[in-house]
Amino acid sequence: MTRAKRRVAITGLGVVTPAGNDVDAMWARLLAGRGCGAPITNFDASGFSTRIAAEVRDADALPITGDRKLLKFGNRSHRFALAAAEQAMADAGIAPTAADRHRWGCVVGTGMMTVSFDELASVQAHAAPDGELDATRILDEATANDPMAFCRSQSTAGVSLLMKRFGIAGYASSVHTACASGGQAIGTAMRVIRRGAADRVLAGGFDSMVSPVGLAGFCLLSAVSADNETPERASRPFDATRNGFLLGEGAGFVVLEAWEAAVQRGARIYAELAGDGNSLSSYRITDSHPSGDGPIQAMQRALRDAGALPADVDYLNAHGTSTPMNDRSEAAAAAVVFGDGVGRVAVSSTKSVMGHLIAAAGAVEAVVCALAIGRSTLPPNANLVDVDPDCAHLDIVRGAPRERHVRVALSNSLGFGGSNSCLALRHPDETRALLEAGR
Amino acid sequence: MSVVVTGTGAICGAGASPSAIVDAALAARSAIAEVASFDATGWPRRHAAEVTDYNAAKLVGDRKLLKLIRRSDVFGIYAADAAIAQAGLEAHRQALDEAAQVAFAEATGCYVGSGGGAFNVNYDYFPLMAESKGDMGAFGRELGSSVNPMWLLRTLPNNVLCHVGIRHGLKGPNGCITNHTTSGLLAVIEGAEAIREGEAERIVSAGHDAPIEPQTMLYYHRCGLMAESALRPFDVARDGSLLGEGAAALVLESGASAAARGATVLAEYLGGGDASEGGGLLHLREDGDGAARAIDAALADAGVAPADVGVIVAHANGTPLSDRSEAAALRRVFGAAMPPVTGFKWATGHPLAASGILDAALGIEAARRRVAPGIATLATLDPACTGVAVSRDARATRGDVVLVVCRGFGGTNAAVVLRARPA
Repeated sequence: MTRAKRRVAITGLGVVTPAGNDVDAMWARLLAGRGCGAPITNFDASGFSTRIAAEVRDADALPITGDRKLLKFGNRSHRFALAAAEQAMADAGIAPTAADRHRWGCVVGTGMMTVSFDELASVQAHAAPDGELDATRILDEATANDPMAFCRSQSTAGVSLLMKRFGIAGYASSVHTACASGGQAIGTAMRVIRRGAADRVLAGGFDSMVSPVGLAGFCLLSAVSADNETPERASRPFDATRNGFLLGEGAGFVVLEAWEAAVQRGARIYAELAGDGNSLSSYRITDSHPSGDGPIQAMQRALRDAGALPADVDYLNAHGTSTPMNDRSEAAAAAVVFGDGVGRVAVSSTKSVMGHLIAAAGAVEAVVCALAIGRSTLPPNANLVDVDPDCAHLDIVRGAPRERHVRVALSNSLGFGGSNSCLALRHPDETRALLEAGR
Repeated sequence: MSVVVTGTGAICGAGASPSAIVDAALAARSAIAEVASFDATGWPRRHAAEVTDYNAAKLVGDRKLLKLIRRSDVFGIYAADAAIAQAGLEAHRQALDEAAQVAFAEATGCYVGSGGGAFNVNYDYFPLMAESKGDMGAFGRELGSSVNPMWLLRTLPNNVLCHVGIRHGLKGPNGCITNHTTSGLLAVIEGAEAIREGEAERIVSAGHDAPIEPQTMLYYHRCGLMAESALRPFDVARDGSLLGEGAAALVLESGASAAARGATVLAEYLGGGDASEGGGLLHLREDGDGAARAIDAALADAGVAPADVGVIVAHANGTPLSDRSEAAALRRVFGAAMPPVTGFKWATGHPLAASGILDAALGIEAARRRVAPGIATLATLDPACTGVAVSRDARATRGDVVLVVCRGFGGTNAAVVLRARPA
């Protein structure tokens, strides 16, 4: 027996991505299908096996209003978060007031790396000159005595900054399930509204691992593409020649509202956030099961949660990382979920253009799905030349954007550690029709 | 849909099970001592509550796994295993036929509250950095010969979720919450909600942390949060908190699932609430507004009146402002009708992300014994905390309903309400 579900509307969107630092710039780049991979400029990566990434450009020039002193409490990814959230709140055209700030929540998917390399280097040079930490020497090391460095390093640094910036005082949480973080954050936020614990939630994800230690972690696992000579083509999900993901960075945010509250104030509704499917693969840490087990349940649960059928789905924004294993497993999962109808679901991975934004990926891709619904246009899967035979049953949007009315869109985010998130978004006209029919 | 607790597990400096830790508290034993894991001679603050007989291989029973996890994960997996064993989940699953096992796995999920902000994981790069002397080209070239290829995986904040899932074949709803101190209690709230929503029949909720490391200890001191040598909640002479480490876990289950398999019910989950103050990372309001709203929300969700609460497990972390404002929140909600209030951090230290769920496991254990353990380090109640019904000595609980309060950085607050089944 389940409780009656409050419907949830998406009324504001904001992004900072390698493909553009606002929604329109990102959308144009996605439709153009031009990859954002390029030689890394954030640091000297010349010695790494992978020397390319998709970086956010002009990060220092991101418009961030409010108290700029807040930036002292944040690192690069927090700057992305503040800027993307700012756009989403402005886009929604509503902000917490003294009377309702307790009914606003904030749920974010946070990156796992919060210590900047410069700070790590400072501690090392002073307290571990030979490579081994001498705890006594930490006592007079500058970074280790700087409360600001501590604040920036905390897993709650981002959510704290956002709540302070926007005056949010309700449910607050940060989640991290690796590459599923952004999707799980938005799914959690939806559930918080449904159960009445909040009326509006600022939800999203932010990350930046384009740093020496971040890139190192992925190079050690051979998870990133080493196509250093052709960076714009490095990310080619579902292509037979794919060889790893392209590391990206950025942030995506949405404003979620109880449907009736959004309708009451005459808000523009991009989409209904209709379903959240969440599963654990329990297979291996980094590998996905070749059968698609795990992602299958996430997609099925999202559809069930949304009260939708596989045949209602017009667009799947795939996790599509461009690693050999992920794309094959995800394609197998789609075959199971959609059965004979799999060829009628248009699929693309926007990571082909902007790379993999890790903890921000699911949030940015939820924004992409909302835009696809709102603009009746599907962004192409860039860089696809030879489709992997294991993925040939998918109707992948290739070459150019496709015009299509999207009734239901799914967004997959599948993480290291086996957490799978699938969000189901419904066209607002479809939701209105359901409501009129008394459902 | 009712949600019950059918298993608990815990580990911290004060003991390796909820009952051992409650025994320690009742015997007025605190695990807080000078740190032994590194040489803190000459440090301005040197005390913490460490797990002193740490044997990772014994705790997780799998030496190979240790290459993929770190100390905090070991605690989390141990506590989850213990809770699952007490609930009899594993034995039940193995007795099912294959099809029923699949259905069981799909309907069993896992939510974990995990500590972030570990600094020492990055120290694995120190030898490489020392060798490359700021030359990033050399850093990149020598990476593979210096750093463990599994480094990133050992560092994942969601390791406990991953490995508990693999060990016990859990495939249902899941999450990993990295929200400082409220993480563990949010893992309980979100897990219970997954059952209430009909998304799962059973959820293993866990919280774990291991923050006792030099850089973290120094930061807490520089932020003015660390006590000289003892954690004395609500005492007029309290001077800060002290770090602990460990984990706790609860097996949450729908009442129907527990009844169907004849499981022993330790407690019912009645409700939860979460509220924040939004004043910034280190800001707390004097009036305890966020804590009061979290408690109000939890009581409302539980359908329980303040007068029906039998014992309160307070956050009681020993910092002057946190305790003072928590006292204000408790007075605002309970007024003169306050049930016995206790807290455990004076004995366990503050295990950050694990603290709320540890307090829940200990609160269940204590309330099943109908006892509110005393706060042994309390000498003189701070006049600013007047009205908070704390005591140096153990007292009888007023009833079987337990309220657990948890507060964290960013002005975040969570609370849950449980009804203990007397042992």
